[in-house]
Amino acid sequence: MPELHLHGSEQAPRLAKNTTRILVIDDDACVGTAIQSILSRHQCETVLASRAHAGIYTFHASEFDVAMVDLFMPGMDGLDTISRIRSVSAVPIIAMSGFRLRNSLDPDQDFLGMALLRGATISLRKPFSPPQLVAAIDRSLGLAPSTGEPTQ
Amino acid sequence: MTRKMDRTGHQDVSKEMIGVGRRTRELEAGSPSPERMRTASELGSAIVHQLNGPLTALQLYVGEIRQHSGQFIGTTGTADTLQQIVENAFQETERVCAVVRLIADTFEAPLHEETAVALGRDVISWWSRSRSTEGSGGPERTISIHGLLTPREREVLGHVSQGCSNKQGALRMQIGPRTFEGHRARVMRKLGARNGADLVRMVLCENAVAS
Repeated sequence: MPELHLHGSEQAPRLAKNTTRILVIDDDACVGTAIQSILSRHQCETVLASRAHAGIYTFHASEFDVAMVDLFMPGMDGLDTISRIRSVSAVPIIAMSGFRLRNSLDPDQDFLGMALLRGATISLRKPFSPPQLVAAIDRSLGLAPSTGEPTQ
Repeated sequence: MTRKMDRTGHQDVSKEMIGVGRRTRELEAGSPSPERMRTASELGSAIVHQLNGPLTALQLYVGEIRQHSGQFIGTTGTADTLQQIVENAFQETERVCAVVRLIADTFEAPLHEETAVALGRDVISWWSRSRSTEGSGGPERTISIHGLLTPREREVLGHVSQGCSNKQGALRMQIGPRTFEGHRARVMRKLGARNGADLVRMVLCENAVAS
C-alpha cells in the first residue's frame, strides 16, 4: 500500500513531521514548478494545481500544512478559492498576486488585502525572491494558531 | 483627401494616420486626458499580469542560483568573473521586478471588491482581446502598416491612393517612372496587396480607422 494518495478519496496519512506539505494553486504552471524547486531544498513537499477546482479537490483529498493561492485564475477566482478552503479548514493560506489596485481614498486596500478579509493568513506579492517565499511559509505556519478559527 | 501632397504635407497626413499628431498636441497641452490615463493604467496592468508569472519564476531561480553559486562555480581562474555575472544577473532581475512593481502600483480601481475584481479580470482579458484582434483591421494595424514603409514609400502610396498613374506620380515626385514603379512594387509587397485596387482599398481602410 502506497504511503500517500494524492487523488484518492480517503485521507492520506500525514508524512513525517519534519516535512511540510504545501499545496500551490496557480494557473501558471511555471510559477508552481519554480516554487516547488525552491521549497524542495527546505524539507517541503509541494503539490501543484493549475485550476481552483482541481486545487480544492486536491486539498480535500490529502492533507496540507500550507495552501498557496494565486488570486487571478481562469474559472474560479482565487478569492472564492480562499473562502472555500477557509470554510472547511484552519490551514494557513498564503494569497499570491502581482496584481495591485490603487485607490486614492484607501491606498492600503488592494486585492491582497481583500484576500486577507476572505481568510488568507498572509499575502505575498509577486514577484518574490526565495528568502521571501521561505519567510512567508515560516510566518504562515507561525501565525496559523492565532487565526485558527475557520471563518464561515 | 484634398490636402496638398507635397513632401512635407504628406508627412503631416501620415502622422495623423497613426495618431501621433493628436498625441503630440496633447503632450504640448500639458496633461493627458483621463481616458488616456485610464487606458494607460489598464494596459500597464495587463502587461504586468502577463509578466508576473515568468518574473516570479525568474526571480526564484536567479535568487537560488545566486545563493548557491559557490557550489557550482568552483575556484578556477574564471570563478570571479562567473560570480560577477551571476551577481549582475541577479541585480538586473531585481531591476526588472522593481519596474513591474512600479507599473502595477498605478492601477486604479474602485474600493468595492466585486467591482474591483471584475475590473481586474477585464484588464487581464484585455491582453487576450487585443492579441486576437491583431491583423483584423484594428488600430494596431494602422501603426504597423505605416511603420513598415519608408517616408518615400509612404509618399508613393499617397499618390497611388489619389488615383495617380505611375507616370503622373513620377511627375509629381520628379522622379523617373521606373523608380516610381519600383517604390510602388515594394509598397505592395510590404503590405501584401495583390493589385493596385487592393492597395487603394487598404489606404481607404487606414484612413477610416484613423479618423
